[in-house]
Amino acid sequence: MANYYNIDDILTEEEFVPVVFHKSANGVIIDPSSETNSVEQGAKVELPLWLAQELYLRQAVSISVPACFNQKTRLEIQADAACVDLKSRSPFFYEFGCKIVPLVGDKTVEVLLLSAFKIRYKEILTKAYTAAYTATSQFLTLLTKEETNLYEAAQSSMAAFKKWRMGGPRLQRASVLGRKRKPIE
Amino acid sequence: MHGRKAYELVKEFASGEKGHLKIFNNELFERVIEECNEHHNALQSLIRKMQEEGLEVLTARTADHYGALIHHLSLIRNKRCLMAYVYNRADIIRDLAWKVGLLHELPREIQEKFSDSEEQYFKDHSKSLKSYMSQLSLNVNVDMVPPKDPYIKVRVLEDLGSGIILSDKSANFARHSMHFLKRTDAEQYIARGLMEELTS
Amino acid sequence: MASGAGEWSTAQMDDYETLISTTDVELLKRAWRNEKAAPEILPFEEALVKRAKEQIQLMEETVDEFAESGHDPLIASLYQMDLDRAQFLLRSYLRVRLQKIEKFMFYIWKSDAYRHRLSTEEEKFGERCIRDIGKHLEETVLSKLPDNYQSLLKQSIISEEDDMVPEPQLDTFVVAKCQRATRPLFLDGSRQSAGFDNRDDHFQMVPGDLCILRYRPFQEELMSGNISLV
Repeated sequence: MANYYNIDDILTEEEFVPVVFHKSANGVIIDPSSETNSVEQGAKVELPLWLAQELYLRQAVSISVPACFNQKTRLEIQADAACVDLKSRSPFFYEFGCKIVPLVGDKTVEVLLLSAFKIRYKEILTKAYTAAYTATSQFLTLLTKEETNLYEAAQSSMAAFKKWRMGGPRLQRASVLGRKRKPIE
Repeated sequence: MHGRKAYELVKEFASGEKGHLKIFNNELFERVIEECNEHHNALQSLIRKMQEEGLEVLTARTADHYGALIHHLSLIRNKRCLMAYVYNRADIIRDLAWKVGLLHELPREIQEKFSDSEEQYFKDHSKSLKSYMSQLSLNVNVDMVPPKDPYIKVRVLEDLGSGIILSDKSANFARHSMHFLKRTDAEQYIARGLMEELTS
Repeated sequence: MASGAGEWSTAQMDDYETLISTTDVELLKRAWRNEKAAPEILPFEEALVKRAKEQIQLMEETVDEFAESGHDPLIASLYQMDLDRAQFLLRSYLRVRLQKIEKFMFYIWKSDAYRHRLSTEEEKFGERCIRDIGKHLEETVLSKLPDNYQSLLKQSIISEEDDMVPEPQLDTFVVAKCQRATRPLFLDGSRQSAGFDNRDDHFQMVPGDLCILRYRPFQEELMSGNISLV
């Protein structure tokens, strides 16, 4: 696993997906509807992706498309991709989607991801370079983690360019040290 | 749900400001370790049960097998979260070693965030860097920003006294005094927030 | 000079540019840029670094002499600035490499080919890095886990390979500048051969061309110096 230590990857794999068990499993409490500490064959359960994908590989479960890629999302993205609140669907909407596609065998998810990404990418960069901060704070709440990173990268490159043009102190207190303490009086 | 506590641990790290450490969450960390051992016990008792039933543990695909599998997967997930928590904190600690650790003690408010092992790691890594630099007889932790002028104007932010001798001069570095220093000399003090660069 | 003073013929310009582009400062700058932009660690430029260090030392002596002999301070400070820039390049080059070693130490140590890309000092540094972080992780996490899950490189004893090792992302995109005309290249990195004649998706870079490419297929072009990264 090339990104074993990657925090975002770990968080992405905590997203829940609906699965159906093809085998039963003893001694585990993961099915809230079950009264015993086991899962029956045919049980419908929501599992985090990290568990679901491994069980899928061993043919113990099948996975269906998670709610955040449902018809409602699709329609909203078709209408105006830039205004859809993807963050509330999943802060790792694209990464999650990419991991889901090979597991559910639904080609339309791929199309959805690509078209949403393309349209929003352009929109984010335009906003990052032009809009004032106050005007965009509303917009920022709709962005996924990846999109926020993009936005911040664009903003900081703008800021760096301005700084370079205007001049100013180049050496600064190491940011790891945190904010400046109040001077001791 | 399995792995939830471990997720909270990682989530807590992720919610911190980038490049800054929060205090090492020992309580949650130990709770996840405990969970690992619980998974392991459950796993072993399922395997024992299979052996008692005379099943071939490696090939049998019974409900007990899948139960054991889920415990195994949960355990390695917990391990990943624990490792990532420590590893990514270590990243920040290395960064500190680069920026401030080679010459000086860390400020108390940062040291408080370390676990014991992290404090040791900070020291060890600083030593490794120092030993690399002495083999090369070259400091690699200065000149972090591309240089423009060899000399810069600085203001002293905290009383440093006259005990400091820089490569080409010594002076009384009283608080608020201003000096014209070699950039490479001043860099360390600026990074630690003891001086600030002034621009004309 | 036929064309008169101040005006250079194209051939002379080319000569001049070749000359400038092969000075050690220029080579060091290129090595530094490549190292900064490449996702993986590149072979250590041993001879170049050695020369650069010698030249820096020479320059330091010159600056000192100037300062002592009370020469024009402006000239001394110009020398100092030049020296500073050379030192920054060298330090930054070495620093970028150390940071890559810190990040990919386990990966580098898995393959001899990668290890041979390091200088002796870097190799020692890497060994200490592995020892330090290994000890830290062992103490904090691994020793507290059940027996079969204590490996630093494998998630558990049933893992067939080292599945905990972070790897550089070689499929990332880089901006490449052409230094020497390349052979026909394919975007997916496949080699030209008889069977490829009917493929029309190849392209050739000529000096000065700027392209955004996937890193992995063009590693060789970078190593051979045909392209450099910016």
